[in-house]
Amino acid sequence: MIPSVAPAPLQRKNALARFSAHRLFASPGGVAGVIWLAAIVAASLTAQWWLPYKTEDQDFTAVLSGPTAAHWLGTDELGRDLLSRIFAAAAGTLGTSLITVIVGVGLGTVLAMLAAAAGERVEAVISRVTEIMMSLPGTVIILAVIGAVGTNIPLIMAILGVLISAGIYRVMLGQAKSLQSQLYVDAAKVDGVSTPGISLRHILPGLTNTIVVQSALIFAVGMLIQAGLAFIGFGPPIPQPSWGGMIQGASQHVYDAPWLMVPTGAVLALTVLAANAIGNALGKTPNATSSHLPSAAARRRRASVVAAVGAAPVAAAGTHDAAAKGQLSVRGLCIGVDGGTPLVTDVSFDVEQGTVLGLVGESGCGKTMTALSLLGLLPSGVSVTGGQILWNGKNLAAATERDMEGIRGRDIALISQEPMRALDPMFTVGYQLTAAIRRLRKTGKAEARNEALSLLEKVGIVDAERILKTYPHQISGGMAQRVAIALALSGRPRLLVADEPTTALDVTVQAEILSLLRSLVKDTGMSVVMVTHDLGVVADICDNVAVMYAGQVVESGRTANILDNPRHPYTLALLAADPHANSAADMPERLATISGQVPQPKDWPAGCRFAARCQFAGSACATPVPLLASGSEEGLVRCVKADELAVEGLEWLATEVPTHRVLKIVEKDLA
Amino acid sequence: MALFISKRLLMALATVLVVAVLAFLLVHAMPGSPGAVSLGAGASQEAIDEVNQRLGWNDPLLVQFFGWLGGAVQGDLGISLIDGRSVSADLANRLPVTASLAAGATGLSAALGIVLGVTAAVRGGIVDRIVGGICGLAVALPSFWIGIIFVYLFAVQSSVFPATGYVPFEVSPQDWAMSLALPVITLAVGGAAFIARQTRASMLEALQQEHIRTLRATATPAWKILYVHALRYASLPIVAGIALQFIGLFGGSVIAEQLFAMPGLGQAVQNSVSTHDAPSVQGVVVIATVVVVAVNLVLELATKFLDPKLRAS
Repeated sequence: MIPSVAPAPLQRKNALARFSAHRLFASPGGVAGVIWLAAIVAASLTAQWWLPYKTEDQDFTAVLSGPTAAHWLGTDELGRDLLSRIFAAAAGTLGTSLITVIVGVGLGTVLAMLAAAAGERVEAVISRVTEIMMSLPGTVIILAVIGAVGTNIPLIMAILGVLISAGIYRVMLGQAKSLQSQLYVDAAKVDGVSTPGISLRHILPGLTNTIVVQSALIFAVGMLIQAGLAFIGFGPPIPQPSWGGMIQGASQHVYDAPWLMVPTGAVLALTVLAANAIGNALGKTPNATSSHLPSAAARRRRASVVAAVGAAPVAAAGTHDAAAKGQLSVRGLCIGVDGGTPLVTDVSFDVEQGTVLGLVGESGCGKTMTALSLLGLLPSGVSVTGGQILWNGKNLAAATERDMEGIRGRDIALISQEPMRALDPMFTVGYQLTAAIRRLRKTGKAEARNEALSLLEKVGIVDAERILKTYPHQISGGMAQRVAIALALSGRPRLLVADEPTTALDVTVQAEILSLLRSLVKDTGMSVVMVTHDLGVVADICDNVAVMYAGQVVESGRTANILDNPRHPYTLALLAADPHANSAADMPERLATISGQVPQPKDWPAGCRFAARCQFAGSACATPVPLLASGSEEGLVRCVKADELAVEGLEWLATEVPTHRVLKIVEKDLA
Repeated sequence: MALFISKRLLMALATVLVVAVLAFLLVHAMPGSPGAVSLGAGASQEAIDEVNQRLGWNDPLLVQFFGWLGGAVQGDLGISLIDGRSVSADLANRLPVTASLAAGATGLSAALGIVLGVTAAVRGGIVDRIVGGICGLAVALPSFWIGIIFVYLFAVQSSVFPATGYVPFEVSPQDWAMSLALPVITLAVGGAAFIARQTRASMLEALQQEHIRTLRATATPAWKILYVHALRYASLPIVAGIALQFIGLFGGSVIAEQLFAMPGLGQAVQNSVSTHDAPSVQGVVVIATVVVVAVNLVLELATKFLDPKLRAS
């Protein structure tokens, strides 16, 4: 079946145009750039009507004068009015720079689209040619061209464009190729649209923004190079003014009339700035600062938030027993984007020594944020906004960065989802491991190496000697996760935070890693907080479970109780939807689904956050729901209907039933 | 590795050859025959013809080209039409000037640019915005304009540095450094801004990598994360940026050489283009290309050395 593709590119184009325009005018620099360029263009095009003097008018009463009423920007060595000359030169400068833009960006874009459309061989040839063009000394070649053709500025700017097109091609190629591999392009090919047709209709619109950005930047480059050429005497023929030539003239009088430098230089620099500002405003990738090491400014902001959290009394004391019980006790934890949206609200759980707690839920429920907050490693712009993280009685939520540096690695360690990306690609496994051991165990170099070897053996790596010498990209994902675990163990931590440690691995490797973790817990007596969406993992390794939904714990308790006797509809639904949780005997004909998606934090309702997707939701669900004892030992559940559901023994239905019908059934049953 | 190097060498050789052909053709398109250029206005047609005959101007193009190429391979780039001196000898005198200028400016740009870029990325906030603003201004101001301002400030107002001229290193290392100061600083303004932007972007990208979080989770001190791990990760694009800068400055030093009266390659190409001195133009183009291609080659090897993934393969 071929999807209908016609409307897609059209929509893309409009959306893109709107987005670009919006981004340009959202940036003050971009707005200023557009205004300045528009003003310069308008002024230069209308110059003949408003300029106070002709370019060659000489005023011998005011030679080399500064700004006066007669000459607003002063005069040069022949008493010629600078304002008039600057604007008389503007049209030529801007126009010929535009030639470079059209030739350079045009040729570069066409070459990129051609290379992307015509296959590998053509691409290889074009890439090779552009490679050669890029490794040429451009200025020298341009000068040699001037030697051959004279100072024919439009032609020279066109040749400059050809030289520049190689760089544009480089920028465009990747994007054109990725557009070419889109599904709707494949569909268009099947529909019989010709290759040039595809390039024009589907690829070109996708490149629009990059084309505009590059045009603005190349426009600036063109102006600078043109002015430079005029400065060294290869400008337009003599009586004709040019910005570079005027600065050259001014440089002769830097001793007796330094002012002469200012007006022309300022106009040239401002015009270049304007073009760059437009390019940068359009080319700015939004949301590009999710740094894992907050900048100094971000850390200062964070410090003030931390101080506030430390001072605030624990909110949410009313939810349930607030006394700290375990080695790790999280109480009423709230995490939010700085100055706005909450991401996690009122999360509480305990982890006792030597036990494993599973944090379960779909993506976007706040599991990972909760886990990272335990180490004080929340991404920039996100911080703990309330509650406590008690680690052996010490509140980590209010700890300083310095305190946390003492806790991380030594007390609490982290392993993450993608082992390949968790290891530094630039350093060997051996370097990373021994550096951590030396730092965390305060040992010497030789001792650290031996420790590294024994750690690697402990995590089940047989040829530890060889692995020490490898770089992360040289080992498999499972091996890398073992190395990451060894790295986490290097400080002999008492709590391991594992963020989906098996999700990115092959199924067979998953089982190995889980059994490794299990034996580590048994041998070392450390505790684990295991973030996962996989109930199989929970059943396999976790002693306790906290089910999270939309930033809240909706049900918690002992694993066996939760899996055998779930009380919250979300837990019911997760179990019904999990192929592994149903044994072969009672595997339903069709797995259940949970319709809809986890709501975005800004869309969280005041009442039960799961109500919109819940088969059992009723009018009582519209008010805030507390976390209450669920009846079974230590279990807690956040559902007003938990008891009713338990009494009725209702199950999450596999078939899609319109919610309103479910509601009616349930209300009737309950009546 | 040997295969890689020999492939790249072959490619470099091809590039130089292409440029040699290009330069040869360009020079032949120049107005005026060698005889006319060398004898100047007012020379008789017979005298011009005689010189053209002697220089082989009337031979087939291919013969002329291979004649030139044969000489070039042995280091003979012909004779200047203007003063009759050996082009090779002239360029050999000029190469150190441009090389010191380009190397000095690249070194200063790199040092300043990396410090500024890292500072902007690490400190963030207002510092980042100030550095960003300065860099934006620095790339927008033409280098010749900046150069004149520097001359005004440091040579006219206070004579800290000489305004123009070049003193060879052999004559006086101290004067050599002083004579290079202003042109090098002038060229480094834009260069440092370029490298600072590159460094800032690469550092920010490096800090977004997940392994930075692993480093923090194992209590790596912030300075070590920044200056050992993140900077190491960012080093590839930064090194590429520095090499690009050198290439640009090597060809682009012509403006600084004119401004500060430095007898370098840029001045040579400017003079010989103005006077239609074909052999000189051809010589400079080829020499500049050889240097630029060589730098590219070194860059590629450096990248290969810096990136463990490329080094292993």
